[in-house]
Amino acid sequence: MAVLKNFADRQHITFPLLSDPDSKIIRAFDILNETVPKDTPTYGIPYPGTYILDTQGRVAGKYFEDDFRERTSASDILFRQYGQSGDVGGGTVVAKHLRLTTAASTPTARPGHRSVLSLDFYLEPKMHVYSPGVQGYIPIEWKLDTGTMAKLHAFDYPSSKMMRLEAIRETVPVYQGHARLNREITFAAEDVLKPLVTASGELILKGSFRYQACDDRECYVPETVPLEWQFRFAGLDRERAPAALQRRPTQP
Amino acid sequence: MRKTFWLSGILVAGLSGQSIKTGPAVGQLVPDFSAQDQAGRAQTLKSVTGPKGTMLVFFRSADW
Repeated sequence: MAVLKNFADRQHITFPLLSDPDSKIIRAFDILNETVPKDTPTYGIPYPGTYILDTQGRVAGKYFEDDFRERTSASDILFRQYGQSGDVGGGTVVAKHLRLTTAASTPTARPGHRSVLSLDFYLEPKMHVYSPGVQGYIPIEWKLDTGTMAKLHAFDYPSSKMMRLEAIRETVPVYQGHARLNREITFAAEDVLKPLVTASGELILKGSFRYQACDDRECYVPETVPLEWQFRFAGLDRERAPAALQRRPTQP
Repeated sequence: MRKTFWLSGILVAGLSGQSIKTGPAVGQLVPDFSAQDQAGRAQTLKSVTGPKGTMLVFFRSADW
């Protein structure tokens, strides 16, 4: 409990942090990590994860990562549980026949954290672009050059509308007006991220958006617009509770 | 967390880390519990539940 108080004070946490020193709650939930040997100081830890409960205590959603070094984040749960994606650190690019804005669910990139990138496009009136799956036209394509910086999760393009083009007697899947694309990433480990951080402390994720804009009369030259998402890098919190509060002596 | 003001967030600390266990399934009730919080107050599932529910985070330690 003293460790929790110390941590809460340091991190300015005001919501309840509960102490489960004998792992009773962890066992009741059946999430004790049994791969940890009993004679080690870390025995008793849970598999880390998050539950969203309704007012009756029923599980509405749960978020566990297979790799304990990777964690979901509050903003990622907002997206996966409630469909809310973020609007942090956005940039705007004006391109031919449309405007693009980039945003992310968090301003900060932390090792192993899962975040949501967003890309909005706003088409000029009467313009449309084609959705993936279209035959004979160039669909929109959102590329991300994550390299070693992050892992990309599977994502879906938003649903499109079928549009009748009388001039050529075709019905095609299109987007008009505004659409938002969302995509989850998990940042790499700290040792991988550190060499990628700029002199000003940022991580820059590059990508592009390809599209072919058409109106009811003609299609224009396909465009590829370079994009970027900027994050402030924050390393892992390695500060420990004062030695007197530490539950077990530090192992040699 | 600014958009989750209506959820009460709580953290349950274990000690100071395949296939993993993830506990109660979606739709199931979680076990009731009681534990002390960082201020020494007794808390239960009911006491930490907000008007729209609870976000319950299990983490490995607040120390390392």
